Order: sequence, then structure tokens, then C-alpha cells
Amino acid sequence: MLGQLAQPENEIQVILQTLFSFAFIIYLFYAQRIQSMTMLRQIEVTLRKIKGLRDDGKEASIKTIKEIGKPERDPAPMVERFMEHFMIEPVGLDPAGVVQKLGKILDVREFTFEKEVAAMAPNATPPERNNIENLLEASLALNVFYKVIRHYYLLGKKTMNIYIIMQIHMILPMIIQQIEAYSSALQAFQEGMPIGDSVGAIVAAKLINGAPTRDVAKEMVAAEIEYEGRHVVVTKAKGPGGSVGMPGDAVVNLLNEYKGRVTMLITVDAAGMLEGEQVGEIAEGVGAAIGGPGVEKYKMELISTEHNVPLYAVAIKQGIEHVVAPLVQPLFEATDKAVASVKGLILDYSKVGDTIVVAGIGNTVGVAQ
Amino acid sequence: MKRMSDTTPMAGGASQNWLTLAAMIFVGALALVSLYMGFRAYGDEEIETAFMYLLVGASGFIAIGYSFFRAKPTTKEALEPKKSDVITTLECPQCNLKRVRSFQRGDYIFKRDEPCGRCEGQMVITAIHTRKEEKK
Repeated sequence: MLGQLAQPENEIQVILQTLFSFAFIIYLFYAQRIQSMTMLRQIEVTLRKIKGLRDDGKEASIKTIKEIGKPERDPAPMVERFMEHFMIEPVGLDPAGVVQKLGKILDVREFTFEKEVAAMAPNATPPERNNIENLLEASLALNVFYKVIRHYYLLGKKTMNIYIIMQIHMILPMIIQQIEAYSSALQAFQEGMPIGDSVGAIVAAKLINGAPTRDVAKEMVAAEIEYEGRHVVVTKAKGPGGSVGMPGDAVVNLLNEYKGRVTMLITVDAAGMLEGEQVGEIAEGVGAAIGGPGVEKYKMELISTEHNVPLYAVAIKQGIEHVVAPLVQPLFEATDKAVASVKGLILDYSKVGDTIVVAGIGNTVGVAQ
Repeated sequence: MKRMSDTTPMAGGASQNWLTLAAMIFVGALALVSLYMGFRAYGDEEIETAFMYLLVGASGFIAIGYSFFRAKPTTKEALEPKKSDVITTLECPQCNLKRVRSFQRGDYIFKRDEPCGRCEGQMVITAIHTRKEEKK
């Protein structure tokens, strides 16, 4: 090669100039296509991994159902059918009553899931069924993520439209974060471990501290305690199975039961933290600290407005990767700080003889009362 | 009916890899030749020509480096189901004996679990969380 290069320079220069000109022209016309191909490759690599996680979720669900539920027939076809389940949200063209319509659809969804799980795992106890239901929901979520990303990948590949490819490529890091979170949930729900979202339920359980409880709404319990001369009613989802219960209904029932005597409503829940914030930071605020589709929040806001009860909130900060993953130590330790925060709010904003409702919001998997 | 799990979106992935590699080798060879020509021109004191060739050669290698960087998967780590090491803390309400063990299926916070080893009390599960503090 060096010998050839030692030939008269003009020939080599001409060849090189031609090649570079050729490469430049190719790049001029195909730059976007090259970029699309690079992005497609990145999506493809990620998609392959997501498919693995989706399959792991399905296998974990089947394995757990077989171990706990001891079904007579193979649950695999039922699990596969469950993973394709969907919910159509109500039409919002006429917004009046849309929350009630959404609530009704969510109730039907809940009822259907309970029936499906009961059929899949007939020998499981109610808490175990709740855990299996949560496990299946995590698997379902992984399946949806996989299918949506695959859709955009295949559509992009078919059309080679850079804008379609870019859409999914740009949000891929955020999607991966959510997928990793759901993947961590598999272990938690398989074993019935408390998760990041359980912090609200743990705070409520710590306040209850062994006091007798009673059912106040579907999968919701409440206990009455005395604190510094105040009558405190603490409510949470009924554990230790994985359930968020109906905290909105519980608050409505309690506020109606105490007929205007409640002077304060405190909600405690996990809250998303911003980058730079510490896991387990506690923040106090006003309003109803409760996530989800909004139905339970709506009920709380409505009833507190009717009874003129001020809403206070305690948030326990955590990242999206913690919400459904097994509870990390800083979050468990944060529950003590949140208990102190709730007590501080009670002392600061109520007087002796007042009745206060405290609602520990979140999934109560692995947390009794 | 074809099931979703049977549908693999990976067709063409391997050929795309070879294409990228071939393009990189081609650009690398051109860059190498350019650098050689640049140094030769510099030796002949043709500064302008040398500058042009060296610039082209360096650009070629930068382009290869950039391609390697771009070709990296979006995720740094393999996406695998994470298994956390979870521990259960048990405490005796009577004698305050504390014991920590690995989590077992069926454990839950405030469960009255095993008899206390020191007194006749019943140990209660007071904490369940992962063993190590997560680093951000």
C-alpha cells in the first residue's frame, strides 16, 4: 500500500478527491436515513430487552399462581389473556359526571380482575389473591410498554419516517425508567413485600399501633386513637395483601359518620421527587395527597368541601424507580419522620377535643394494621 | 393465530450491524490514507495541502468515534428483573430483643411471628426493607 502511495501524487489525489466527493454527496442525500437507521438500532436493542422483561413478568405470574393458587389446570392461557386486558376510559366530550363514569368503569375493572384471579388461583387466601392481582397488573403494564414501543419501532422501520422514529427514541430513557420500576415490582408482589408506595399505609399502621380496627369501606379499615386530647381516626387499606382500597369512600363514610365534627383531614402518601431531592424527604402541604386516576381524590375533595374540612397533606418523596420496588431503607426510616410530621400538623392546626381524620394512602402490600 | 410473543421485531438487525461496520472500515481506511498524504505533503513543505489532508484524516477518525458513541444502546445496563436483598426485623415487645433475618414469603409488618428466644413473648415484625441503602 505504501509503495502504491509513493506513485505520482496527482493520481492518488484525484482518487481521494473523488471518494470524498462521493461520500459527501451520499451523506448529503442519505444523512437523515443514516440517522433513522442509527435510532432504529437503538430502539431495537432496547425493545429486545423489554421483551425479555415482559416474558419474565409472564413467567413470574404463572409460577406464583402455580405455587400459591395451586390450580387444577395450567394458568398460562388465562395469564396471557389477562395480559391483553384493556380499559376504555369514558368519553370526556360532556365532562359533567365523567368522574362517576370513570369510577364505575374502574369498579368493573376491579371486579373483573378479582374474578379472574379467583379462577386462576382458587386456593389462594384473599391477601395472596391481592398480591397475585398486583403481580398480574405489573405484567400487564410491561406487556403494554412492549407493544407500544414495538408498534412505533415497526411503523418507523416500515415508513423510515424520521419523525415517527424520533418520537419513541426521544422518550425512550423515561420509558425505560418506568419499565425498570415495573420489573422491580415483580419480586415485591411475588413475595408480598412492602413497596415504596406502601409508606402511607405504614405511617397509618404506626399511628394505629395495634388499636382495634373496623371496616369502613371496601378493603379499608379505620382505628380510633387519642393523641394529646384529640380524637384521631386513622384509615388505611386493609393489609397485608396488596391493595390500595377505596380511601375516597372511607373518608366520605367517616366524615358523614362524624357529622361535621371532623375539623381536619390529613392525607399521607408517596410523592414523586424531583431530580436533586433526597429519597425519603418529607414535605407538608395542603390538598389531597393521593394519586391514581383521580376518582378517590375527587371524592375526598368533594366531601371535605361539603363538610368544610381543611385538607392537609404529608408527602414522602421517592423516585419513580422506588414506587413499586421493594421498600428501600431510607423510605422505611422516612415513615417515622412522616408520623412526627402528622403529629406536628395535628398539634399546630387543631385544638384539644377536635376530631381529626388521617388517611394513609397507598398500596398496603406487606403491611398489616 | 400468531401470538404476540412469537413476533420478533429483530429482522434486519444483523445486516444493519455489518453495514455499519463496513462503512466504518471504509471511512477509517480513507482517513488513514489522508493522514499519510498529509504528513507526506508536510514533508514536502506543501503546508496548505498537508493541512487539508490532515483535517480530512482527523475528521474521519472523529466520525468513527462518534459512530461508536451513537451506536451504544440507550440503556447503560442490561434490563433485567432486579432482585433486591430484603430483610425482616423482628422485635419482642416484652424484652425488646431485636433480630434481623432475610425476608420470607408470608412476612408482613406488624405480624406476630415467632416466639421470643429470651422471654415468653411473641416477636413482632417491625420493619421490612432492602438491606443496603440505594445509591443515587
